[in-house]
Amino acid sequence: MASLAITVAASEDPVDPKPEVEELGKPRCAKQWLAYQSCVKRVDEDSVGQNHCTGQYFDYWGCIDNFAANKLFERLK
Amino acid sequence: MAGRLARRSLLQTIRSGFYNATILKAAPAVSFASSTRGEDHSTGLGSLFKAVALGTAGLIGFSGVAYADEAEHGLEAPSYPWPHNGILSSYDHSSLRRGHQVYQQVCSACHSMSLVAYRDLIGVAYTEDEVKALAAEVEIEDGPNDEGEMYSRPGKPSDHFPKPYANEAAARFANGGAYPPDLSLITKARHNGQNYVFALLTGYRDPPAGVSVREGLHYNPYFPGGAIAMPKMLTDGGVEYEDGTPATESQMAKDVTTFLSWAAEPEMEERKLMGFKLIFVLSLVLVTAGYYKRWKWSPIKSRRLIVDAIN
Repeated sequence: MASLAITVAASEDPVDPKPEVEELGKPRCAKQWLAYQSCVKRVDEDSVGQNHCTGQYFDYWGCIDNFAANKLFERLK
Repeated sequence: MAGRLARRSLLQTIRSGFYNATILKAAPAVSFASSTRGEDHSTGLGSLFKAVALGTAGLIGFSGVAYADEAEHGLEAPSYPWPHNGILSSYDHSSLRRGHQVYQQVCSACHSMSLVAYRDLIGVAYTEDEVKALAAEVEIEDGPNDEGEMYSRPGKPSDHFPKPYANEAAARFANGGAYPPDLSLITKARHNGQNYVFALLTGYRDPPAGVSVREGLHYNPYFPGGAIAMPKMLTDGGVEYEDGTPATESQMAKDVTTFLSWAAEPEMEERKLMGFKLIFVLSLVLVTAGYYKRWKWSPIKSRRLIVDAIN
């Protein structure tokens, strides 16, 4: 039984639970995501300035992080 | 008479000076806002007010106007529920063992941990024999011997973890000018250290629109400024754990961060035990002291005063 488990693990890389947990958080952070998307559109259209979307990016990922922190550790050993 | 009047006015000016200072400190945002709006009525007192307020506004940093600060400080890491966070919780020692393995196989190529000795791991992550074997894998330069020459020998448990580079200059030269910091105390040396390290290791993402980092740097929102020299080091399956735990990126980050927390605070478990005993004994002492005080004061507290006033 032990050797069977090892060969199975060796043939495929383990899958990180973090992206999956972050996906789960997306509906909660929809407002920030939309704000970021509209900023991206504004920045893309503006070819002159040096604008960037760090603020909206931080708001979005901050929201996702706060949701995902507990959930992620539940899935780790 | 005149002297007393002069003294009073000095006290008054001091007091009013303090008053003015607190007013100015309390309302820098107001004058900051008015000055950013470009209002320009400069009475004598108004412009003085603005000048001092602008200075204090900078000091206090109360303004909600400066968005450029966000990237400068980095995205705040969330609070992860570390198993050793509780008031009586110990480190997860199997996590420490795995974390040391991650450090050794992934991080030690660039990061030193020169304050940690191999024997510190005995009873924490490995047995004494395992530590002796680990240390013996490394070549340590020692000396001088009786002939005055430096020589190489296999490591002993009393040796500290070997440094990947001879000195900081060599480290910078090998890493494009950036110095990979020593990790012995890193979770205490960074704000919100544990959470920061985990978030940093797992937080390599595409930069936001409008942000680009130069060749040789990588974007990481948690790193102050956003552009870090270290590339993403943890990938799924990068390390093969001895105990068979699936080595996902998050798992490795958790284990290595726990290991780094231990390295910075090896005394944590003993400290929590001592703290618990201390609080327990002190609360008994508090109750005793309270009772003793009330007992000693009881004659005073229970006396009656009879005032016989004759008008």
